[in-house]
Amino acid sequence: MSTETNDFSPQQSLDLIQTMIRQAQGNLLNNSFYFILWGWAILLANLGMYGLYKFTDFPYPYAVWLIAIPAWIITMIYGSKQGRKAGKKTHLDKINMWMWISYGFSILPFIIFMQNIGFNVNPVVLVITSVPTFLTGIILRFRPLMMGGISFYAFGILCFLVSPLNQYLVGAVAIGCGYLIPGYLLKNMREKNV
Amino acid sequence: MFKELDPLLHSQLRLAIMSLLMSVDSAEFTFIKEQTGATAGNLSVQIDKLSEAGYIEVTKSFKGKKPLTTCAVTKKGLSAFENYVNALKQYINK
Repeated sequence: MSTETNDFSPQQSLDLIQTMIRQAQGNLLNNSFYFILWGWAILLANLGMYGLYKFTDFPYPYAVWLIAIPAWIITMIYGSKQGRKAGKKTHLDKINMWMWISYGFSILPFIIFMQNIGFNVNPVVLVITSVPTFLTGIILRFRPLMMGGISFYAFGILCFLVSPLNQYLVGAVAIGCGYLIPGYLLKNMREKNV
Repeated sequence: MFKELDPLLHSQLRLAIMSLLMSVDSAEFTFIKEQTGATAGNLSVQIDKLSEAGYIEVTKSFKGKKPLTTCAVTKKGLSAFENYVNALKQYINK
């Protein structure tokens, strides 16, 4: 790239500004990893809980939620590696990260004290999950994720209307629609952009 | 009467650096190098010019054992960039 002045037109200057700004915004698409990871973890936990309750006498079916621990560890390792690799920090990256950390803290009491509410955490968690999912969709300007956020809200309400056991099935479908489908679409979009 | 284009910004590499920094909070030297495709030496010189003008703030630290140079736009840089874009608009709309 040349450093000399006056050898390019105002239109070329504007084009250059636009290209550089677009390049700086690229890495938010890496978010697909988290949606796919957590999508599968929560989907398996929901189906595991349903299967264990319905078909076995296993006394601790909620133990399947321990799958969240390795998912958290992977999230933290991947997140810190990505942060180091990115070479830049944008305000939107920061907002997005803190929004999901706040979300994690807001659902934590429901997970810790799930026994006190009969392990029926799905309705509350799904409704709360709709907020950061929808907002990440807005930040990324990615409609499937916005729809995913809306679907979490709808499935959360549906959970209040079905039996506690069927809530796990609704939870599994909700995660499929809210995280996995948008997550894979986001991943495809990123691969096409690379 | 057309505004004059700021000569410090009306240079491809310096404008590219400023445009990159406008859309981030801060960026590492290696990131700017990758995105602009400039050589380390040339980039270093242009960053120094922008820094001397007070348009960007350069912070030197360490990432592990490796030196790390991070750049961020200052308020002065932000307003210079806005003026430059406004001046550009005048030229394009004439």
